[in-house]
Amino acid sequence: MPGIKLRFDRYKLLEIFAPVAGFLASIVVLLIIVIVVGESPGEALVAIYKFSLSSSAKVATILSVSIPLFFAGIAVAFAFQSGVFNIGAEGQYYFGGLIGAMAGIYLHLPAFIHIPVVILFSMAGGALWALIPAILKVTKNVHEVITTIMFNSIALALVNYLVNGPLSGLGQGKSLEPQTAKIQSTALFGKLNGFFRMLGWNVPDYVYLDYSLIVAVITGFIVWFVLFRMRHGFEIRAIGISLDVSRYSGMKVKQLQLSAFVISGALSGLIGLQEIFAIRGYYTYGIASGLGFDGIAIALIGKNSPLGVVFASLLFAFLKQAGYGLQFYTSVPNSVIYVITGLMILFIVVINEIVAAYIRTLRKKEAV
Amino acid sequence: MSETLLEMRKITKRFPGVLANDRISFDLLRGEVHALVGENGAGKTTLMKILYGLYSPDSGSISIKGGKLSIKNPKEAINSGIGMVHQHFMLIPPFTVLENIIIGEETQKFGILNEEKPAEKIRGLMEKNGLIVDINTKVEDIPVGIQQRVEILKILYRGAEILVFDEPTAVLTPQEAEELFKTFRQLTAQGKGIIFISHKLDEVLEIADRITVIRKGQVVKTLDGNEASKSLIAELMVGKPVLLEVKRPDVSPGRVILEVRNLDLKDYRKIAVLNDVSFTVHSGEVYGIAGVEGNGQTELISVIAEAAPIEHGDILLDGESVVNWDVRKRRDAGISHIPEDRHKYGLLLPFTLAENLTLGMHHKKPFVNSFQIINRKKIQEHARRVISIFDIRTPSELTPALALSGGNQQKVIVARELSAEPKLLLAAQPTRGVDIGATEFIHNQLMEAKKEGRAILLVSADLDEVMSLSDRIGVMYKGKIIKEFTREETTKEEIGFYMMGEKEHARN
Amino acid sequence: MDLSFILFFFVKGLEISSPIAFAALGAVFSERSGVVNIALEGIMIVTTFTIVWAAIALHSIWLGVLFAIVAGSLVALIHAVVSVTFRVDQIVSGVAINIFAVGLSRFLSQKVFGQETQTPTNAYLFPQFLGINSMAFLLIPIALIGWFVLYRTVFGLRLRTVGENPEAADTLGLNVYGLRYAGVIISGALCGLSAATLFPSQWISGMTAGRGYIALAAMIFGRWDPVGAVLASLLFGYADTFRIMFETKIPIPGQFVQMFPYVLAVVVLAGMVGKARAPAADGKPYEKGED
Repeated sequence: MPGIKLRFDRYKLLEIFAPVAGFLASIVVLLIIVIVVGESPGEALVAIYKFSLSSSAKVATILSVSIPLFFAGIAVAFAFQSGVFNIGAEGQYYFGGLIGAMAGIYLHLPAFIHIPVVILFSMAGGALWALIPAILKVTKNVHEVITTIMFNSIALALVNYLVNGPLSGLGQGKSLEPQTAKIQSTALFGKLNGFFRMLGWNVPDYVYLDYSLIVAVITGFIVWFVLFRMRHGFEIRAIGISLDVSRYSGMKVKQLQLSAFVISGALSGLIGLQEIFAIRGYYTYGIASGLGFDGIAIALIGKNSPLGVVFASLLFAFLKQAGYGLQFYTSVPNSVIYVITGLMILFIVVINEIVAAYIRTLRKKEAV
Repeated sequence: MSETLLEMRKITKRFPGVLANDRISFDLLRGEVHALVGENGAGKTTLMKILYGLYSPDSGSISIKGGKLSIKNPKEAINSGIGMVHQHFMLIPPFTVLENIIIGEETQKFGILNEEKPAEKIRGLMEKNGLIVDINTKVEDIPVGIQQRVEILKILYRGAEILVFDEPTAVLTPQEAEELFKTFRQLTAQGKGIIFISHKLDEVLEIADRITVIRKGQVVKTLDGNEASKSLIAELMVGKPVLLEVKRPDVSPGRVILEVRNLDLKDYRKIAVLNDVSFTVHSGEVYGIAGVEGNGQTELISVIAEAAPIEHGDILLDGESVVNWDVRKRRDAGISHIPEDRHKYGLLLPFTLAENLTLGMHHKKPFVNSFQIINRKKIQEHARRVISIFDIRTPSELTPALALSGGNQQKVIVARELSAEPKLLLAAQPTRGVDIGATEFIHNQLMEAKKEGRAILLVSADLDEVMSLSDRIGVMYKGKIIKEFTREETTKEEIGFYMMGEKEHARN
Repeated sequence: MDLSFILFFFVKGLEISSPIAFAALGAVFSERSGVVNIALEGIMIVTTFTIVWAAIALHSIWLGVLFAIVAGSLVALIHAVVSVTFRVDQIVSGVAINIFAVGLSRFLSQKVFGQETQTPTNAYLFPQFLGINSMAFLLIPIALIGWFVLYRTVFGLRLRTVGENPEAADTLGLNVYGLRYAGVIISGALCGLSAATLFPSQWISGMTAGRGYIALAAMIFGRWDPVGAVLASLLFGYADTFRIMFETKIPIPGQFVQMFPYVLAVVVLAGMVGKARAPAADGKPYEKGED
């Protein structure tokens, strides 16, 4: 029946309305802030453009920046699908990255094994760091929001201690920043820039389009397949809708919550791959922070779907670059991007509610 | 002719897709009980919500004691002398009775609560109306029947003259209902007017001075209490003659399917909620549990279907103990369950009908293959088949469940549970909140299942339903099955006495 | 160990507990009205910046705290609008506000003081009493007032009603949204007092260090009760005081000592299982009217 098909498309359209409108609204706010600060909005837009889309190098940079953001988003989104609120991606990737880096430093393996091994160790580390909050949630019903936030702080202190203490590799590098020993060359991620140039995309050498991009693509596909084509994913989405219905229909909801939480942690472990294995080649507790929180925003904007997360992480990478552009060319500080991010989430969720209410009304009209 | 307390004129209220109230006119006299009856969705609740200021009508007028007014919110309704006892009590369990009564109508000085004066006033009301409650107890510690008194006191405390009772007897024994009707008579004798909403036509006939029947948002007729009959009201409600009796197929019971032995269970306060419960259900047999709600029925279903842990005893399905099995294993072994709270347990609303119709079987072949990959084609085929057998009205099997009407959502649950071809079907309040048409459908499906040799355990607060469907009936009181009858050897009245635990006391 | 040292330990502990305790008290009011307020952390970030900014700009710490209370209430108001009026998931709203608050404080610090991560020092401070910030002594009367308001006033009874059963409150003619707004805004205002007791001599990005979240843990441990929440906050505060005063004497690495309050929060929550009941409608948006 073509009529029905058409109606469903309308709902789909309505569902992407919120992210788009929320994004536009926050850009408007950004321009208002620019005006309040005394800059010209036109110049601000030019500054943003120059830093984000003005050349293939800039566009490639956005893609590069989006890689860890994608992992952060997909990790949080996976937990969200099951109704688990994993605010601990931050701590999970500090710890996961450290475990991965250890495998990169202390294991001696040929490259084609070493690289998968460091990826798996990173995931294992992230999963491990999610395990205690996950167990506390399913066995003692302790809300994960507070425990994961506490575990972020604990992770930060722990890796700080380890990098300064037992695992310190200072003296090997030129920098005085506390850091581990160098990761072996067999575990380092090579770049794909040459490959892209072969395809006719002129990506300069200083941009990191490395193996972590491949990992991201594969991860995204697997996550999609598990969530939407496998029984386990079906059950994970079911508990996210209603624990009661799921329990009643025979699903083992505690095991499912635990597994979704731990898988989310494992995915979080991937956030640091690019920074550790492609960019730095060692681990330091100063690896980019705040990505776990970006992940929450990305998951929300991407509506927890893998494809949505792809778009949202590109959008976020764009925003980050926009912030640098503003800071570089105008007197608007980079931190304005966090203001905008927070507001964007608020806009999107509020518009979402309004749209959802509208859809309910539409559906009621059509209910048979 | 006594004074008209309330007059609602040509009330119209439209919701997206439905005309909920279509020029409804309704009035209430001083000293009368005016019953409002109609199927679910007929528009009773909407009309009362308009009266109570929760909805605003699209058109029409409301007058109280001759004065026209518009009621914009509950506060104005309360101030106009309207009080409502809702079907689901509007009480705060951890608060005391006194606190519950005074909220919103507190006595205060500089914002500081005074409890002395209200307590005095409440005591006066309790004596005048024979509604005795300990006002310093927490509401969570008192039984449901008494909680209803608190609700009545609450509206009397606010000086209500127009009292609306929305299905007040649903949670009461027949004897408690009698008590409530005594209270009704006391209140009307004081010149108050009562609007009584009920599904139980016997009660309506017993207490109502006038009866207004509404159907599809319109008033069909207002009858005088003594000119009405049960079949006439039912016919007016449905719009066609109704068969109030269910045809019970003659099936001779087969082997024992469910055996419950000496079940014990205590709640978190260490109070026994199941106390040495034993019974059996045979194939091709309906075993009905009668009892006032809250006497262990919910817990009984949850230990059998939801694998809630028990303290002592055994549950056997086809001779095999299931107590250590989880829900999945029990379902796989042939237990199906139409849950009591279908909003909470029934459907994954954003998921498609196809997904919802396989829920609980979704982990088995052919719906998944050996690698646990979902076979969407098989799920959709199954859904299409079930949709046509059970006549579920939907644009397609890929429609999300939330897009279906309430009645069709109910059908989806019944269809799913029966399509699993269970050995044992647990039906908990299967027709609660369902209109007469759907009730008929569900009853027929249960009888069909009986014919196919399934064992059915029916729990219902509706004694008529238990009486008309069951082959054997167990009466539950305080977590115990205090008496078991065959259908033929008992009467409604007798069961009513057991439901109150009366006979038990007499014996002891 | 002499007597004056012990006395100092006690008053210092009070000072260190106060920022958490005021926020925890705020959390009680918000959650008793049915709104989970994880935005406390963000609100504290804003109030700690505001108090320093206003004190420096207006040469008065008293005006500083006034502005901090107003700023806290305003940020809380955002949370109320989003989660009460628009019924957005309260945790999502809180997380977004926390991100927003980090950006806002840094942005303002950069624009006002030319430095993104810290302000200059503020010389306008509260008077000292017994060697600590005298504002900390406000905690005890305010906790008692909080208890009185919640259990002995009309407002408190109504606030608790909407947290337990907003539908019933609605049928009784109470203003559910208004009461929830009040609960949330009180929590924001109390975060202004958190700022007054948390090192108001300088703002440094990150100085709240998760105290807003710890306050939530304290509130849960205190069983959603004003006095309980303050006592639980004192537990965290004194544990931290002990850490600070004896850090150098303890033979374990500093980072492990730093973890202590966070580990304590997790342990305390894990030990709370089944011992307390949240308000029945806590965290659940309420949709009134025509459905």
